[in-house]
Amino acid sequence: MKLLLRLAARSAWNRRFTLGLMLLAIALSTTMLLGIERVRHEVRAGFSQSVSGTDLVVGARTSPIQLMLYAIFRIGGATNNMGWDSAQTLARNPAVAWTIPISLGDSHRGFPVLATNGDYFTHFRYGSGQSLKLAQGQPFAGVFDAVLGADVADKLHYHLGDVIVLAHGMGGLGLTQHADKPFKVVGILARTGTPVDRTVHIGLDGMQAIHLDWEGGAPLPGVHIPAEFVKKFNLTPTSITAVLVGLKSRARVFAVQRDIADGDGFKEPLMAVLPGVALDQLWDVVGIGENALLVVSGMVVVVGLAGLVAAILASLGERRRELAILRSVGARPLDVLWLLCVEGLGVMLCGVLAGLLLLSGLIWVLGPMLADQFGIALHPAWPAAGELQLLLWTVLAGLVASLLPAWRAYRLSLSDGLTPRL
Amino acid sequence: MKTLYWIGGIVVAGLWAGLGVRLLSQVNAHAAPAAASAAVSAAPATSAALAGAVPAVTARADAGSTVPGVADASNGPYKVGDQLQQSAAVTEKPYQASGKMVNGFQEIAWESLIPKDWDPMAPFKGLKLDQMTDDDPRADAALWKAKKYWKDAPVDPAMEGKPVRLPGFVVSLDREGEALKEFLLVPYFGACIHVPPPPANQIIHVKSAKAVKNVRTMDAVWISGVLKVERSDSSMGASSYSMKAVSVEPYSAPDKS
Repeated sequence: MKLLLRLAARSAWNRRFTLGLMLLAIALSTTMLLGIERVRHEVRAGFSQSVSGTDLVVGARTSPIQLMLYAIFRIGGATNNMGWDSAQTLARNPAVAWTIPISLGDSHRGFPVLATNGDYFTHFRYGSGQSLKLAQGQPFAGVFDAVLGADVADKLHYHLGDVIVLAHGMGGLGLTQHADKPFKVVGILARTGTPVDRTVHIGLDGMQAIHLDWEGGAPLPGVHIPAEFVKKFNLTPTSITAVLVGLKSRARVFAVQRDIADGDGFKEPLMAVLPGVALDQLWDVVGIGENALLVVSGMVVVVGLAGLVAAILASLGERRRELAILRSVGARPLDVLWLLCVEGLGVMLCGVLAGLLLLSGLIWVLGPMLADQFGIALHPAWPAAGELQLLLWTVLAGLVASLLPAWRAYRLSLSDGLTPRL
Repeated sequence: MKTLYWIGGIVVAGLWAGLGVRLLSQVNAHAAPAAASAAVSAAPATSAALAGAVPAVTARADAGSTVPGVADASNGPYKVGDQLQQSAAVTEKPYQASGKMVNGFQEIAWESLIPKDWDPMAPFKGLKLDQMTDDDPRADAALWKAKKYWKDAPVDPAMEGKPVRLPGFVVSLDREGEALKEFLLVPYFGACIHVPPPPANQIIHVKSAKAVKNVRTMDAVWISGVLKVERSDSSMGASSYSMKAVSVEPYSAPDKS
């Protein structure tokens, strides 16, 4: 057996160029298969890490998934706001322990601006129940104070005391800016690995103040209220985007949801979404696309395998003499079969390992960029159980595939290789 | 050239194998419901230790649905209002628990979470429905009162600390990465969205000791754990059940026994 292994290794080394190419193909297809699996898991984990302990997200009626996407993940836009008085009514519900009103819509150099109140820093939880921590400074107190997420501060090199100007609407261009009412950075949050890192937080009164002299989505020409006079006006918001609700008892969540859906005591139709349920619904939708991706990457692996079989089969032609000589010095047909199987398995194993290494390398090099651009935090890690299973299947498929050329070599007679062909 | 034939052969063989697998799985899917119905029709009445006290209909009256269907396939598609079958043997009371002990956890029915001395028909006391005319405002008033009464249904303090096992549907709350850490367990399918919510004593707030993987909202599971009665301040009305789940496993229809 040892001799066979050595023979297989020597023979493979002799044809290292072709086999090397095959190995590369298998490594690349493994990288793709594992990469897709890894990204899929990380995206899911990232999403469910973003919110914790929030029992209901309440907003104007829309799709539950969409409400979740913009209220928690800042993806997409709000279609409708809800009235401030509804938020007040909600906060008075005896089953409600706390509420966090949030108002979205503005941005700062591409980062979303979230207007909220002090409850955000007290009650908001992420991951497995961690609360937000300030790395520097303190929560906002004045009208024009801002607290930055870790990514915003890092990327734009902001420090405490810096002055920032918010832009109306989303998008990085910031064509219409609230330049007359700049905000001062008073705090920078510690990194959370959630959308909070990419958010600029201001007070609800600040949000109201910068839009005092705006009407119909644009500043009114000729009207200008200087920043120092905004306090003369009522800065209570008239409308907000959504309310995050925490309940005293989580088992009451359906009852409260029903109250909100029935509109008991509210002036407008509202919707309450259980974040966990909405996420499950989201995965149901996204799952179709994910499966399609997995099937495609599975196909790529099959193509790689077919290539491997083709290469070994083709090599049988050039190895006729070699195998015949092996037979003539006493190797049994079964030994020849083993020889080719070992070769196929070896290439497969090396390819899969190389694919793993390649993936880890890619994640190591490109991970930070991915996190910046798409908010997907990938870390080089040992393959999880599911991934190991995928790898195992790949290697097994390789073994089965290499049986085919092996069987063919087994059937080739001794004389076939020794008779010179014309 | 020969290589090409081989590759073509492999592809064709793969397709045939795939077709075979599909045909096989279809045969299995057809066979399963047939087996289930056979199991039900056998119906030897076994004794059920628990859950005889409260009539099943009252427990479900506040669900807004009439009599929900029994999910016949073991993990088949459920319809809104479906409950999970607990005993295969008793046809007329499929939700009645067998009272079996599994690893020290006694199987109970959802009805046993309702206090035995609590009368769901109390708001109708003294109301003679047979002597009323149609569209009687008193009947409506009583029903309205009853709905509120059912919503604030009390929990049974006697269930505190009981190791129990029961089947239900999951509503996700908090996850840890991809695994589910906290969820609500409800007795019937679609309880959160389509029909009025179950009363407080028909919801169990489950904190799993070990985060469970591959469980999503409205998946059917068997859970085992120790029940705890969460008392709440008086302003909120109803107390509720919570449980530290020891095991959470996918629901499978009970064996005929």
